[in-house]
This record gives sequence, structure tokens and C-alpha cells, in this order.
Amino acid sequence: MEKIHKIISPALAATALFFGAVPATVAQDEAVLDTLGNELQLAFRSATPEQVFGGVSQVNVVQLDKKSYTNYSLANMQSLVAGYNGSLWDMGEALVLVDGVPRDANNIIPTEIETITFLKGAQAVVLYGSTASKGAILISTKRGRSTGLQVTVRGNATLNVPKAYPKYLGAAEYMTLYNEARLNDGLEKAFTPEDIYNYASGNNPFRYPDINFFSSQYLRKNTQRYEGQAEFTGGGKYATFYALVGLYHGNDLINFGEGKNNGTTRLNVRGNIDLRLNDFVTGWVNTSATFYDNRSDLANYWSNSATMRPTNPGASPLVPLIPISFIEPNDENSWILVNNTRYLIDGQYLLGGTQQYPTNPFAAMYAAGYSKWTSRQMQFDAGVRIGLDAVLPGLRFVGRGAVDYNTSYSTSINNTYATYQASWTNYAGADMINTITKFGQDLSTGTQNIGGSSERQTLAFSGQFDYTQRFNDVHGVEANLVAHGYKRTISGQYHRNTNASLAMRAAYNYDQRYYAEFNGAINHSAKLAPGHRNGFSPVGSIGWRISQEDFLKDSPVVDELRVNATYGTILQDIDIDGYYLYDNKYTADGDWWGWNDGNGGKQTFVSRQGANPDLTFVKRREFNMGIDASLWNGALKAQAEFFTMNIDGLPVRATNIYPSYMGTYYPNSSFIPWINYNRQRRTGGTLSVTGTQSFGDLKLQLGLNAMYVKAKNTRWSENVEYDWLRSEGAEAGAMRGYHCLGFFQSKEEIAQSAVINNNTKPGDLKYQDMNGDGIIDSRDQVIIGRWGNPWTMGFNFTAQYKGFTLYAAGSGNVGGTSLMNNQWAWVYGDGKYSEIVRGRWTPETANTATYPRLTTQGGDLNFVTSDFWTFKSDAFYLNQVQLTYTLPASIFADKFIKGVDVYVNGNDLLTCRAKRQYCETNVGSLPQNRSYNLGVKINF
Amino acid sequence: MKKYIYSSFLAIAAATALTGCDDVFSPAPENNLPLDFLEQNAHYAENMLGVVYTYIPNNGGYPFSEVATDDAVSNDAGNGYRRMAEGLWTASNNPTNRWENCRSAIQYCNIFLANVDKVQWTKDEVANALFRERFIAEARALRAIHLFYLLQAHAGVDAQGNLLGLPIVTEPEGAGSNFNLPRNTYVQCLQAIEEDIAAAMEVLPAKWGASSYDDIRAKHPGITEGQLERVYGSRFTGRVCGIILDGYLGRLALMSASPAFEASGRTWEQAADQNAKIIDFVGGIYALDQKGANWYCDPNIKQLGEAEMPAEVLWRSGKGDSNSLEKDNFPPTLYGNGRINPTQNLVDAFPMANGYPINHELSDYSAQNPYADRDPRLAMYILYNGATAGHNNSVIKTNADGTTNDALNKITTSTRTGYYLKKLLRQDVNCDPNNNTQQSHYTARMRMTEFFLNYAEAANEAWGPTGTGSHDYSAYDIIREIRIRAGLGFENGDAYLKSAKNDKDLMREIIRNERRLELCFEGFRFYDLRRWKAELNEPANGMNITAGVFTPFQVETRNYGAHMFYGPIPYSEILKFSELQQNAGW
Repeated sequence: MEKIHKIISPALAATALFFGAVPATVAQDEAVLDTLGNELQLAFRSATPEQVFGGVSQVNVVQLDKKSYTNYSLANMQSLVAGYNGSLWDMGEALVLVDGVPRDANNIIPTEIETITFLKGAQAVVLYGSTASKGAILISTKRGRSTGLQVTVRGNATLNVPKAYPKYLGAAEYMTLYNEARLNDGLEKAFTPEDIYNYASGNNPFRYPDINFFSSQYLRKNTQRYEGQAEFTGGGKYATFYALVGLYHGNDLINFGEGKNNGTTRLNVRGNIDLRLNDFVTGWVNTSATFYDNRSDLANYWSNSATMRPTNPGASPLVPLIPISFIEPNDENSWILVNNTRYLIDGQYLLGGTQQYPTNPFAAMYAAGYSKWTSRQMQFDAGVRIGLDAVLPGLRFVGRGAVDYNTSYSTSINNTYATYQASWTNYAGADMINTITKFGQDLSTGTQNIGGSSERQTLAFSGQFDYTQRFNDVHGVEANLVAHGYKRTISGQYHRNTNASLAMRAAYNYDQRYYAEFNGAINHSAKLAPGHRNGFSPVGSIGWRISQEDFLKDSPVVDELRVNATYGTILQDIDIDGYYLYDNKYTADGDWWGWNDGNGGKQTFVSRQGANPDLTFVKRREFNMGIDASLWNGALKAQAEFFTMNIDGLPVRATNIYPSYMGTYYPNSSFIPWINYNRQRRTGGTLSVTGTQSFGDLKLQLGLNAMYVKAKNTRWSENVEYDWLRSEGAEAGAMRGYHCLGFFQSKEEIAQSAVINNNTKPGDLKYQDMNGDGIIDSRDQVIIGRWGNPWTMGFNFTAQYKGFTLYAAGSGNVGGTSLMNNQWAWVYGDGKYSEIVRGRWTPETANTATYPRLTTQGGDLNFVTSDFWTFKSDAFYLNQVQLTYTLPASIFADKFIKGVDVYVNGNDLLTCRAKRQYCETNVGSLPQNRSYNLGVKINF
Repeated sequence: MKKYIYSSFLAIAAATALTGCDDVFSPAPENNLPLDFLEQNAHYAENMLGVVYTYIPNNGGYPFSEVATDDAVSNDAGNGYRRMAEGLWTASNNPTNRWENCRSAIQYCNIFLANVDKVQWTKDEVANALFRERFIAEARALRAIHLFYLLQAHAGVDAQGNLLGLPIVTEPEGAGSNFNLPRNTYVQCLQAIEEDIAAAMEVLPAKWGASSYDDIRAKHPGITEGQLERVYGSRFTGRVCGIILDGYLGRLALMSASPAFEASGRTWEQAADQNAKIIDFVGGIYALDQKGANWYCDPNIKQLGEAEMPAEVLWRSGKGDSNSLEKDNFPPTLYGNGRINPTQNLVDAFPMANGYPINHELSDYSAQNPYADRDPRLAMYILYNGATAGHNNSVIKTNADGTTNDALNKITTSTRTGYYLKKLLRQDVNCDPNNNTQQSHYTARMRMTEFFLNYAEAANEAWGPTGTGSHDYSAYDIIREIRIRAGLGFENGDAYLKSAKNDKDLMREIIRNERRLELCFEGFRFYDLRRWKAELNEPANGMNITAGVFTPFQVETRNYGAHMFYGPIPYSEILKFSELQQNAGW
């Protein structure tokens, strides 16, 4: 122990000095400082779980981290938290607060986190004002503990293995089927049988290319990521601290040209200090800095991988590389080009190109240069708590402020480059290049371009008075009065994102059995007209802790049972998308006009918006109920929530009332005001159950949760002719499209049917003509499914046996609809032919076809949303399995090292769903990964 | 104790000060202005009228609505007119829709007119009054022009065959307005246009600048030279003036006399008289600009003075350097996208150089050498196999067995008909991305040739091929001049045209054909076919040349219903407003 101090102390002293704290002395007085421990973190306060009534869930990340390693703060939370599936209660984007300040969830790593709290119910979020009206996620960082110096070091090595690449047809098969598509369109074949034979033979890929973006020639099998972290915590009577330094580096899949240098590096440092100045004044200072660098090529490789065909019709195919060995030795003109090029790949290839594709991703990967994106995030917040018992017993003041800065920019080297096209001949059975054509110029300016520079500043503050007192031992009274606000300035955006409200809470309980609580906020919104800027959000709750009643107090079964109910309204302006939406806006900066050559370049004076001074807050009016139970000494814990809410007054442009000509796109003009109009009702519930059981040394825990949400549009701005088109009364996430009746099998059938246009041929999809007008158009679109899933589920399982801990997390969803509509599935025109087109309709396969006839023309007929392309999105995912081994403590008795954990895990291991292959394959972007991680954690 | 309370409040105060008030308590100021701002700022008032100019249809370019006719196809599957021709034309999908833009323009005219009296244009009282009068006239003129465009795209008939126009709105509309208005009749709209234009022409000069000063002096005795220059000077050239309004009246009269709108009661005679005004204004039929058929590639465009109009052009947009038209329409080997492909139908409409149509027994047309001895305009307007194009006169091979990407249907940017567009493009543009150059272009909003053809059409219907009414020239005279300019019938005195001297029907056919050729790709064909109630469903054909053999083939069919002589009222508005009646069949 002494030794460690000698090593660590200088560093520690430096840190402490940096933060202006008194040097730590080891003291064991734990009661002195707040510990977050087992308290639930709530809006502007914390409370023990028994005192909290509904709408809140919390994950203890310190405990979770012992059995589950991830690198994203909210990873796999659906497995643990009822009501969370990326958003809370399916309400939309939740506010993320890190230590009470709006911050990004991806800028904090799980190791740094103490708890994550999910605030769902109106009673839980109302104090935060508008921006938390769709729920809030509170991330609390680890605090120092006065338990002596602890140092933890951890290392991780992660292997990311792509799940799948999209499967495309090779050149020869593509050519054959493209010919078929041309014939279908009444055009002649694009490729001769001889062409196809040459491509199929594969004898000379430089003349007859078969480009495969996913070949091992271009890509690594997997990518690696290495991470190291060190945590320091400790402190004494007057100060405790927590610090973390973390570093990781990951590489990229691309294994040629600039792509080899692609990679990401992130370094972050966090330091939290809690101070105790005297008996009634405490405070804290939190800081964090992140340095993030990402280097990337300029080839747009992945997006091109979804569009660039293995070869292309036309005068000459694109060939990535031209081998100079095929150039005749006496072909002087060609050799001059070879000798003058800046980019001779591996000393033997020219970059390929054609007149049609003078630039292409392969040449760009070698020659276009690179870009480096740099991001810096600095976060600072501090606060003070002042006990005011001298003024009024139970009164306290808390004030806090925060300043965060993000800056990012990219630097790039952008080169232009020449590409070359070879024209080939055949001398006595051997292919030779007889001429080379050059497109473009090699040009490297050597200058570094700086762009994409952006800055973000967040300022937040709050001040609050808290009052807690108990009278006559049975009347518990609490009150809070909070003023708070924040402002975020983003470069390039004129207006800031802001939030300001004055919040109050009054709570009473009788004998900790009967609870009543009122939460309210005066919301202020600068987005509304003067005189309409303040609104009041009242939320009232009652609770009954049944387990405190005499008849249950001594129950051997029930340890805790409480019920609650809440009714209230939250006003919000986050769905009001901008400022001055209430105003009649004329601008002198309209579209450009002029009447002749000398009098151009004037800007029109034009109306952009009609006035509606009555524009007001959107209202979330909610009723929710909950029940919490803990049975058999915590062996079974259950929580259920039910909620129904009306989201009323969602603003829309009043296009359903105003004539269409009151607004035009070009010139940009509008007289149409915004009105509070649309209304949605969301009803749903959540259930979570956790069971714990021990069998000797084996301890098992299983947690299950589920959420169901049904959202309906109860009022909607629309003008529709037919009931099936109506959004009002329909589900909020309704997917609309044509109802497909199969393939057209004959010209006669087409002649008797409604069609989209007169290009319809046998093998095209036939749709139901809902209104019977003989044309298939938007008026025939019906509800064919539901975006999103009404049911979401999660499960987690832990088994502990001696030093071994096995952890598994899974999630699922049921009831939604997915649509196959990416470039891999919808192939037409000059699209890249994927394996899916093998099932195309032909007269011979009329009865077995799984895909419409091929076409070289547009996608109007078949590649539109219809139930031909839908499938159920019911799915189950095994998100993580981790095995952790904690070395026995006895090994380390009195040693330098206190404990060692070794763990292996696999992430995104299993997906069970319809069209799994399709869903696991990304098209036009980096692949999805399955990752495997080996880690070790050492405590000193 | 107090010390801490104090300091903590100070901390909060400091934090509040730090955050400031912008967007927290009140919004940061935006550059939004109230409408009455224009009262003290005359140039904002003028710039409100500028909106109305930007709303003029096809203001900045050519729509290429020919793609929806028998004149052209597009190789772009997403082209709105192509999809329209394929059968996608409905009241909710209407590429020819002008409802929003033109009616919004009328709203701006009405707002302008309601506020114009409050605007101070200048401190000089006399000039201020003149300006006010002039701006009122300009706003009324523009309102009439937009109503004309609306009639062209949306007028139609009800189930009983009564001609319907649009709701005539002459007051600004806003929150309290009744938007549920019935349509006025076609004739009422016609009268509204004529009334606005008549009022405007009382005030506006025939042309801006010195040539009209005498007229103005007569109307405003005592006006100073300075006031004349300020209010009516030549720097306003390009804005609406009397002759342009005469042009619109000419268009309106021709449309109203045509078969589709003949129930309006307007006669061909009225149409001929109105269009003759423009011909007379420029000096009669011999004033026809001999370079007028290819005004677009005049190498001197760049040197045009700011207010200068070539003789052919009555009204043009500002000129500017660009190569976007060429990038769109050049063949692939010239780095273009080959978008607009003229059809075989149009190619066949060009007569032989001897003036005979190709199917005439005296034409000497050879189906296996089809481009020889043809109307010189064919080579000027259409790029066919073996012709040259581009800045270094490259030979373009469109034959189906061609080896370059220009060959028929070779790649998706190749021609689908065997032809590329040449008209409107400047061949001295280079679209090579590594070496691209631009040239000066402008859009001719009104060309003299149009009014010559308008007169010829109306005069032939009113008085026969050689009748002149009260004018000095007949339909025959006009067409003769145009065909001479085109280079037809030099050797035989254009015997074919002469043969129509006493044949009104043949003359009509020739006039319509000349109109098709002279005005091709300028957006006329689509509406001409409709006002003539002509066949809309001629399939669009192309030419396949393989091994030197010419074989015509069908590229696209057309699938227009009988009701499609008239455009639809937007579907969304029919749903919204019960009083608004849809045209029959839509």
C-alpha cells in the first residue's frame, strides 16, 4: 500500500492541484459525502427507490460493467429497461443529460458511468421543461469515494467481423440478364454472345473486367480495435476524486490505396472532484475532454459498391487497373503516357477510366487523396450545495453551471488524377493493348484544405432551493423550487437551441404510506408570440405504499408493494420547429430576379409565412399508473406501467385549409401560417420482471421486460377523397402502399386491368385499383403495415458460479412491418444486378417467379411501395454474451494487485427473423459487424 | 451564512448573464419585415413585383414539353413529361400544372395593387405620380399575363361542354378570405385579361426608351426629359411593355378562336387582326429577321447590349454564360446526357429542300438516304446519323451498330430515337469535365416568327390562303417568307406552297407544319395540338440504322384520353373546395 502511494502520489497531487482541490487524505468517513450508490437519480434530486412513484427506471452501470463490456453508453439497454427501445415509451427523441447537462450519449463510455436513469412519466420529466417532454435519459458519471486510492486498468481487444456483404451477379451473368432486360423493353441486346463468353472465361480480367468490390483483393477479413483505460479514484474528508484516461484505435476494412490508412483514434480524459468546504457547504467540479480523429479516403467506396456494375454496357467497360505489361514495347505514344503518370500502381498498373467514368472509386482510392476529421469536446460543470438549516431547518440551496465546447473540422488533401482507357487487339491469340486514351490530368496542389469546420457551445445553469422536513414523525414534507435553462449555439445555425423553465415540486407523505405530489413548471418559449410565451405544466401524482400497511407489514411474501397514479399536462415547444413561426414573415432576401442583362441580381420582396399569433405550446396530456412489487426478499421484483397520453396541437402548415397556391416552392413563397392542429393518442404499458435464485454457489438472475404502445392519429391535417387514404383515425406509424395482386401474366390481363402506365407488360406487378378509376396512383394506396413495432421486449440473464459470471442480453420486437426497398432489392435501369433478380419473371417461370420482369427503364411500375415488398419485422436478437472470470481474491492478498477480471464476449451474435440475410446486409455502406472482445481489468 | 447565499446568487446571476437572452427569453432578431415596410422603401415594393416576374412560366429556360408530344422522347425515365406520355397524367400528377405559381403571382399583383398608393417612389411629385401610374399598369399587365397562362393550362369544359376559366381574384387573400370560390367562365376570364391589358396599355409605352417618348409627351404635356428617362427609359427594356402585351393578346386571341375554345365566340378574324398589330409594329412581313431561325447560336449574343433585342426577338431573358443545356442534350461522346431525342415523326415533318413533303410524289425522297436534299432546318435543328456537332465538328454516329456510346440505345444516355437535339444548343460549347467551356445564352420569351405564324393560321381560317382582311398580306405571303428564309423551293419557286393558294385545307396543313418546325422545342407543340383538338396519340417513332439499312421503329406509345385537350384542376384543391369544379373527364 505504501509503495503504491509513492508511485501514485505525485501524479495525484498534480491532478489535485490542477483542480484546485485540497490534497486528499485517506479517511474512512463515508457518511460525509453523498454517494450515488443505490439512490435513484431524478430531475434535480435523488431519492431512495421506495420514495419514487412511477415512470422511472434506473440501471446501475457500475454493477453491469462487472459482467458486460460495451463501448457505447446506451448499448443493450433495451435488454434491461422496460419502455426503452431507443426512445422512451416510443415518444421520439429523448433528452440525454450527462451530469444534468444536455450532452451526447456517445461521448461518454460505460466505464465512466455510475448510473443511467430513464425518466418516462410526466411526473418524472416535467421539471426539466420542454426539451424533456419526450422523456429524459440521465447519465451520471462515477464519483470519487473516500475509501482510499483505487486504481483500475483495463485493456480490450476487439475483432469486428462483417456479418455479410450484399451478393451481386458476376459479369457474365449480369450481361446475360441485362440482355434479357433489354429485350423485355423492346430494345436490342447490349452484349453479344462472344462478349459474354469472353467475360465468362475470365482469361483477361483487364480487358473483360468483373469488378467485385467485396473481394479479398480490396478488403480485410475483419477490423480490429484496441482500447486501454485507467481509472483512479480516492479522496478523503474534504475531497474525493474520480479520473479516467482512455484511448482506443480502430482500423478500417479497406485494404488498398489510401484505405489502408483509414482509421479512428479517440483519447479521452475525465476528472470529477467532490469537495466539502465545511459542514454545510459542499460542491463539485466535473471535467471531460475528448480528442477524436478519423482519417478516411475520398473514394466513396461503399456507396459506389451498391451501384457500380461488374462491367458496363457501352463503348468500353470500366477497368480498375490497366497493366502496362500488355503495352507493346514499340508503342511509343502509350509509353509516354506511362512514363508521365504520377500514379503507377505497384509499378505496373495505370489507373483505369473511360469517357463515361473518368473518375471512379478505385482510381480515387489510390489517387484522390484523403480527409481527416478532427473533433474535440471539452466539458466542464461545477456546482455548490449550501445547507440553509440556519435559516430554516431542512432548507438547502443547490446551484450549478456548465460550459461545453465541441469543435470539429476536417483537413483534406484533394488531388485530381488522370485515368486511362486501353483499347485491345489480339495478335496471334494473345491480347495486347494497342492504344491508350487519357482522361483528365494528374494534379496535386499539395495544399491542405480545411473544411467542415463547426463549433458547438452549450451553456447550462440551474439554481434550486430544496426543503425536506418531517413533522411529528408522520408528516413528510418536501418542496423544491428550481430555475434552470440552457442554451446551445451551433456554428452555421443562427438560432440557438434553448430551454428555460421555472419548476416547482411539493410533496407530502403520511407516515411513508400515503403520498401526494405536485410537480409543475412554468415553461418559457421564445418561439411563441409575445404574450403567449409562458405556459404552465401541472402534474399531480398520488401513491400508496401498501406494504407499509399493518396487514402487509409483516408479510413473509411481500417486501414492497406500491401503486401510483399520475395525471397532468406538459407543455413543449420542441415540436415547434423554429422561431417566429407565429409571425407574418416578409423577407427582402427572396429569390433572385432581374429584367435584363444589366438589371439582374435583385432579390425579391416576398412573403414566406402567414401570421398566427395564437400559435401555442404542444401539449402532452397524460394519465399513467404504476405498480411496483418486491416479493420473497427480493427474489422476484416486478414493475408495471400503464400510460395513455394525448399529444395535442402539433404544429402544421395549414395547407388543409389554405389553397395550394398560397405556398410555392420556386419562387420560395408562402402565405400559409402554422397552426396547432394534429393530435395523436398514445396508449401503452410496460412490464418488467426480475427473478433471482441461488442453488448453492450458483446464483441465477433472469430479467424480462416488454412494452406495448399503440399510437393513433386522432386529428390530422389532410384532405382525402377516400376512407382508406385517411390518416385521421389510423395508426400513427401506418405504412401505405399498393396492395399487390401478383404478376400480370398476359397482355389480355393488362388490357382489362388498372395500370400505372402504358409500359406495363407481363411480369410486372398488378395492384388493386381501390377507387376503380382504371389508373393505379397514390389514391389507391392502402395501409399495408406498420412502421416500427408495437411490441418491444428485452431479456437479460446472469449466472454466477464461484469466479465465473455468464451474462447474456437479448431483445426483440413484434408487430411491425419491414420493407425491402434498398438498391440491392430494387434493381432496374442501370442498377447493379443482385442475386435477387435470379427469381425474375419470364414467360417460362411465370408460375414460380419471385421477382418482377427485368427492365432497363425506370422503376415506376414495380419498385414502389407495395405489399409485394413487405415482410414482418418480428425479430429476436441475442445482443451480447459475456463470460467473465474474476481471479480469486486470495491470490492477491497483500499484493500490489488487488484483483483481476478476464472476460470474453461476443456482440450481435444471433438474429432470428424473416429475411435475416437481407436485414443483416448493409447496401451502400459499411457492413454490419459481429464483434468479439477479449478484455482484462486489473484493480490496484 | 449570508455570505454563501449572496455568493451563490451571484453565481446564478453570472451564469444568466453569460447565457444572455437571445433565444432563451426572446428570439434573436431575424431579418423579417412587415409588409408595410415597402411603403418607405420603394425598391422593396418593386422587388415584390419582381416575384411576379419570377413566376412567369418557363421564365428561365425551355420546358421541353415536346417529350409529351409526337415530337420527342426523353432518355430520362424520371422526366415528368415522359411519365405523362406513358399514362401518368392525372389531376394529382400534372407536370404542366401552373395553378400554384400563376395564382400566387396574381396574389402578389393584388397585394401590390392594394398597397401601391402608399408607396413613395420618389420625392419628385410628378415623377412619383408617373411611377405610381406606371407600376399599377405593370401589375395589372402581369396579372393578365398570369391569367392567360392559367387559362392555357387549366381552362376546360364541364360535362355540358360549357367553357370554364378560373376564379377571378382581384383582392389580396388572407386568413379571413373565402377561398371556396367557383370558377368564372372562360369568357369572363378572357374579358378580365383584356380589361387589365387595356388599362395597362393606356399607360405603358409600346417599347421602353426614346422610341415611345412622343406618345408619352402627348399623354403628359409638360413632362421633362429627366422624368421621361427616369420613368420610361430604355433601362426598363425587358419589363412588360405595350408590344409584349399585344403579343399576349395575340396568343390569347389565337387560342380563343381555336377549335378547343371556339365556344368563346372569338373569331379567327379577331385573332388575325390582333397578331397583325405586332407584324405591323415591326414593319410588315418583309421585316422578318433572316437570321431568326437560329437566333440561339448567334456568336454575337455575348456582345448584345443590355437592353438590346435582336430583330427576331420581341422579349428575351437576360443573357448569361452556361453550358447546362449542352450538358443535358449533347450526345455522350461530347460529354452530354443526350436527354431530348427528336422523333422520326418530327424528322419526317421536314419537307425536302424542294418544298415537297417527303411523302409527296414529286419529293425525290429516298428512304435509304433520308437526310439528303432535305429542308436545311433539319440539319440545323436535329442531329442525325453522320452529321457533325460540337466545338470541333465531330461526326456523330447514331446507327444501332455504332461502336461509340452515341449509338442508338447503347447506354442510358444514348439516344432512343436515333436523333439528338441540336436546336437551342451552342455547338461552340465544350462539356468535357476537364476542359469545359461556356457560352452566352438567353431564352426568347417571344419571337417574331411566332406572330407571323399566328397571323397566317388565323388569316387562312378567316379569309383563306390569299385573303388579307384589312391588312396588306395574306397567310400565303407570310408562309412564303418563312419558307424562303428556311431555304425551301429555290429552284421550283416553291411549287408545293403555290399549290395551296386556293386550297384552305392544304394551306392549314402547311401552316401547322411550318409552325411545328419553326417553333419546335420551344414549348408550343403541346398546347398547339390541344387547341387544334388534333390527334394526341401518334406513337413516337425512331430510326434504327443497322448495316446501313434504315428501319423506322416505334419508341413510345401515347395514351391520352379525349378529355386531355384540357388540363386538370389540381386534385388537392378539388377536395378542399366544394365550389371548385373539375374539368370534365378528370
